[in-house]
Amino acid sequence: MSVRVSMKVNGKPVSADIEERTLLVSFIRENLRLTGTHVGCDTAQCGACTVHLNGKAIKSCSIVAMQAEGADILTIEAVAHPDGTLHPMQAAFKENHGLQCGFCTPGMVMNALDFAKSHPNPSEQEVRESLEGNLCRCTGYHNIVKSIMAGARAMAAAK
Amino acid sequence: MTTSLIGARVPRKEDYRFLTGAGQYTDDVALAGQTYAAFVRSPHAHANIRRVSTDKAKRAPGVIAVYTGADLAAAKVGGLPCGWLITDVKGQPMKEPPYPVLAQGKVRHVGERVAVVVAQSAAQARDAAELVEVDYQPLPAVASAAKARSSGAIHEIAPDNVCYVWALGDKNAVDAAFAKAAHVTKLDFVNNRLVPNAIEPRAVNAVYSRADDSTTLYVASQNPHVERLLMTAFVLGLPENKVRVVAPDVGGGFGSKIYLYAEDVACTWAARQLARPVKWTADRSEAFLSDAHGRDHLTVAELALDKDGKFLAMRVRTTANLGAYLSTFASCIPTILYATLLAGQYTTPVIYCEVTAVFTNTTPVDAYRGAGRPEATYVVERLVETAAREMKVEPAELRRKNFIRQFPYQTPVALCYDTGNYEATLEAAMKIADVAGFKDRREQSLRRGKLRGLGYACYIEACGIAPSNVAGSLGARAGLYEAGEVRVHPTGTVTVFTGSHAHGQGHETTFAQVVADRLGLGMEQVDIVHGDTSKILFGMGTYGSRSIAVGGTAIVKALDKVVAKGKKIAAHLLEASEGDIEYDKGIFKVAGRTTIHWTSSSPG
Repeated sequence: MSVRVSMKVNGKPVSADIEERTLLVSFIRENLRLTGTHVGCDTAQCGACTVHLNGKAIKSCSIVAMQAEGADILTIEAVAHPDGTLHPMQAAFKENHGLQCGFCTPGMVMNALDFAKSHPNPSEQEVRESLEGNLCRCTGYHNIVKSIMAGARAMAAAK
Repeated sequence: MTTSLIGARVPRKEDYRFLTGAGQYTDDVALAGQTYAAFVRSPHAHANIRRVSTDKAKRAPGVIAVYTGADLAAAKVGGLPCGWLITDVKGQPMKEPPYPVLAQGKVRHVGERVAVVVAQSAAQARDAAELVEVDYQPLPAVASAAKARSSGAIHEIAPDNVCYVWALGDKNAVDAAFAKAAHVTKLDFVNNRLVPNAIEPRAVNAVYSRADDSTTLYVASQNPHVERLLMTAFVLGLPENKVRVVAPDVGGGFGSKIYLYAEDVACTWAARQLARPVKWTADRSEAFLSDAHGRDHLTVAELALDKDGKFLAMRVRTTANLGAYLSTFASCIPTILYATLLAGQYTTPVIYCEVTAVFTNTTPVDAYRGAGRPEATYVVERLVETAAREMKVEPAELRRKNFIRQFPYQTPVALCYDTGNYEATLEAAMKIADVAGFKDRREQSLRRGKLRGLGYACYIEACGIAPSNVAGSLGARAGLYEAGEVRVHPTGTVTVFTGSHAHGQGHETTFAQVVADRLGLGMEQVDIVHGDTSKILFGMGTYGSRSIAVGGTAIVKALDKVVAKGKKIAAHLLEASEGDIEYDKGIFKVAGRTTIHWTSSSPG
């Protein structure tokens, strides 16, 4: 059965006729061709598919697109400034070598952005706990933790 | 003197695209007329296939085709080859059973491919795969390497499930040394099997072009040229020049994306049958079942020492679980890349290692992170540490007593070490770890009800897996060289083509540092291209810590040629003799006189 969904993605209204069972991540990747959001496990373990739904980080592989009807979605493609300048959190990942193969990175950044809103100056322990739902196989997390601590502080300072 | 860019801390060139969602991984590639594949996989570890019925699946919505092993056999699609020949203790070649792309009458591990469904959407392909009916007759299965020899045959060619018994070292000399040892330390090891689990699942997207009878394959691979060579020459019988393999951004490999996989072949073959692009992306469960696994050794190891703690001999017997089939490099991991590292950093005069490699009803095992070498280091260092504790000698002291101090040093296990300073590295590590303060820290921990331990591991690694003549003499069925090409554009910017492949290593930055440093350019003026057989002459890819050692060397050799040519041009422009031209970081000069920048000598 086909169903019509409409939502706002990265500030732009979008709508499409899709199968009811279409996952939000499939809608984002296949229909909108925003391929920065990744699928690593399809079971809500790895967090590579993390996007913001109405400002909150969620795993887009674990809800169907219909559940996001009318929602405001933000993906990694719209995080940097429109002129291409990296967001302070993205810049912190770059500065602290918080990524290697880059596959988990968009999900890490999207999760960190949400976390930093409520943690302007997080401790290492808080950051490590915030990464509970995001897996990385390259870095060993250490530099991701450093990146998020620096990024959160930079975001707070920019306010 | 300008500061060297090599080794300098610089931001990575590849980070911007990864941080902004602009990376291009295989599953991100969508082609016109795209179709999707789903595989029907065995739920049994070992079973005969009585019948495969695809009728219902073929009638399911969106289904374009369903193929089984019978279709591939009729099309004479070959099995997956093994890239390394191991010769056993009797001088016989290892047992190489057929490794079918889709099962031929029998399945030998859970997750083995029985059929492939191609449909208009990924969801339709998966739905239809569930409609393929397979009548299995389960057979007794064996998963444990320890029980493999006493279990029923998995392959006709290997009635005792032994692929090979291989040995390295002088057994008689080792036995003699053990006979006069003052102390023997003996340990049993289980080096457990593991699943590599790169965060990007394996993926492939194959497309056939009727326009020029060519096939292009996007694939999450660590070595696109090797993938192409194996697939064209050994499996599909296609002309190598008519197949292009692109390994774009790859989300981690850890060894598991070195190999030619059956899914890659099946999608490529299907794309040619259908003249439509066929894409398959593993889900995480499929990754667990079908990515080549790592390790899985059972080992009994012994170290013989004299009364003063000098190592006299080492004896190692390992049973290596290869899984149900021989994966691309499976045979060399528990042998060539394992036993040759057993000397570690020590002067153990004689070493004997015997490896029995067995088939079991499990997912094939191949190289994973370090591949054989960490297994060897674990054996050596556990033995040494345990020996020190048994003989009540300080573990660091026992190591010092046995360190190799004269170089070059020929080990009894084939390798010759050209240089090393093990004392210095141990000392540095002990300083960083504050070994002197450990006693206090342990007492503090005890007072808090906690236990604190201290252990040592002195490690040597064989990086690079080269040169070709050595690899060939040890059974490699291909050379292990690397290709590098430096192309200088008329404006002086440079594109470098490398046969190495990055899947997290950061080659676009590291290689650019090497090139920019040598040519006196900014890193932004140097582009590194990798991962596409249509752009790069050839390549053996990235594994075994070989990128900078072998791939980087190829680039430096190419730079030498560019500089040599630049000297000719500079000599002409400066009206000097070529032999008088000196070159340093982008500047050509006649000794003590005129200088000319590198960009002026470029062909513009």
